[in-house]
Amino acid sequence: MTRTPELIDALVECATPVRRLRPPLVRAGLWLTLAGLIFVLLAVGHGVRPDLAQRLHQPAFAVSLVSALATAILAAMAAFAISLPDRSRWWLALPMPALALWISTIGYGCFAAWVSIGPDGFRFGEELRCFVLLVLTSVPLASALFAMLRYAALLRGGTVAMMGGLAVAAITATALSLFHDHDATAMILAWNLGTAALIVGASGLFGRRIFRWMAARLLASEVHP
Amino acid sequence: MSPRRGRQAPLTLVTASGAPSTAGAEGAGDQRNMSRKRDWSGLMVRAQDGDRRAYRALLEDMTPYLRALAARCFKASGDIEDAVQDVLLTVHAIRHTYDPGRPFGPWLVAIANRRIIDRLRRQTRDRSREIELTAEHETFSLHPTNLRFEETSTDEAALHAAIKHLPPDQRQAISLLKLREMSLKDAALASGRSVSALKVATHRAIKSLRKILRQPSEPT
Repeated sequence: MTRTPELIDALVECATPVRRLRPPLVRAGLWLTLAGLIFVLLAVGHGVRPDLAQRLHQPAFAVSLVSALATAILAAMAAFAISLPDRSRWWLALPMPALALWISTIGYGCFAAWVSIGPDGFRFGEELRCFVLLVLTSVPLASALFAMLRYAALLRGGTVAMMGGLAVAAITATALSLFHDHDATAMILAWNLGTAALIVGASGLFGRRIFRWMAARLLASEVHP
Repeated sequence: MSPRRGRQAPLTLVTASGAPSTAGAEGAGDQRNMSRKRDWSGLMVRAQDGDRRAYRALLEDMTPYLRALAARCFKASGDIEDAVQDVLLTVHAIRHTYDPGRPFGPWLVAIANRRIIDRLRRQTRDRSREIELTAEHETFSLHPTNLRFEETSTDEAALHAAIKHLPPDQRQAISLLKLREMSLKDAALASGRSVSALKVATHRAIKSLRKILRQPSEPT
């Protein structure tokens, strides 16, 4: 076993200058800028849905879109804040009101769609395009977020992963609403909710493992640089 | 939202202003101690810029404090030292997350608490899977470590006598595989015989032993 003074010697030996992290809100802003960039690319490559202007006049759609976007922004802020050791856990409550509103609009939409259209109002092709859009949005954003929050691995890995997952899920749902021209079928609404649940669940499940792996690597690289 | 209200109550490490203590009776030692502690933030800022001397001073200063924190949760000195080292490593790995505009104490204590709790959880989980060995478990296959009860254990004496009556190849197979508990591969290497030959010899030996040992007790 290494003795503590020897460990201190080793740590001092490899104490190179480090660049301090920017404030968490600035870093959340950077990540959201990346999300905005992806949105722009998708708008150019894929095009926004043709009936966007018309849909934005519908209160249910507008509230759902705004609340998803608000959930994404607030969850990103919370994830970056709680990834630091000395920030309060109360940051976790920040996206909750927006999340509640978002979930309730999805639930209402789902119910309304079920009653008016029925469960068979979807096609396979729509589903596939929906999935591609989902992967194009969520994978780069989730990777960027995990990379930016890797130091949280040694502290509150699970919580940070869940909050980050929520941010990615909400931003993906916003992208789906903006770019995917679908009617409010039960399937598409289920996509919204299902994607959110899937991303948050997966980040809770795997995020902890990824962070644990990152923690081991972080510590190993510090001792044997 | 007030980010750090919840965790600050137990901390007296870092005071916001450098105001001298009004309680003069505390003694010069305490004041010196406080001024050193107050300097931790400055030391960390210099350490972040690559000042190794400041970094060493900070780590050495912090260690007794971390040890006291760890001692609240662990009893064995080895565990305490492990926890301290874990915290020091973590502080080192994420020293770039310290913001000089904020007090150092809550940052350090949050890291220490998190690592100590993680270690406690891991320890509890590991212990729930472990079974403590008692003296009864401590048996070894080597001959000298086993207790001999020749005079009391008549069965064992009878068995050894029966083994002596076996043909040499069967006796060797039993001795290597059963008494010395070697694997078939090792026994084959040790005896220079093939694995199948050893298997056959063992099978025959056990059959013969069964016959020899049964004879005296069986009503004829």
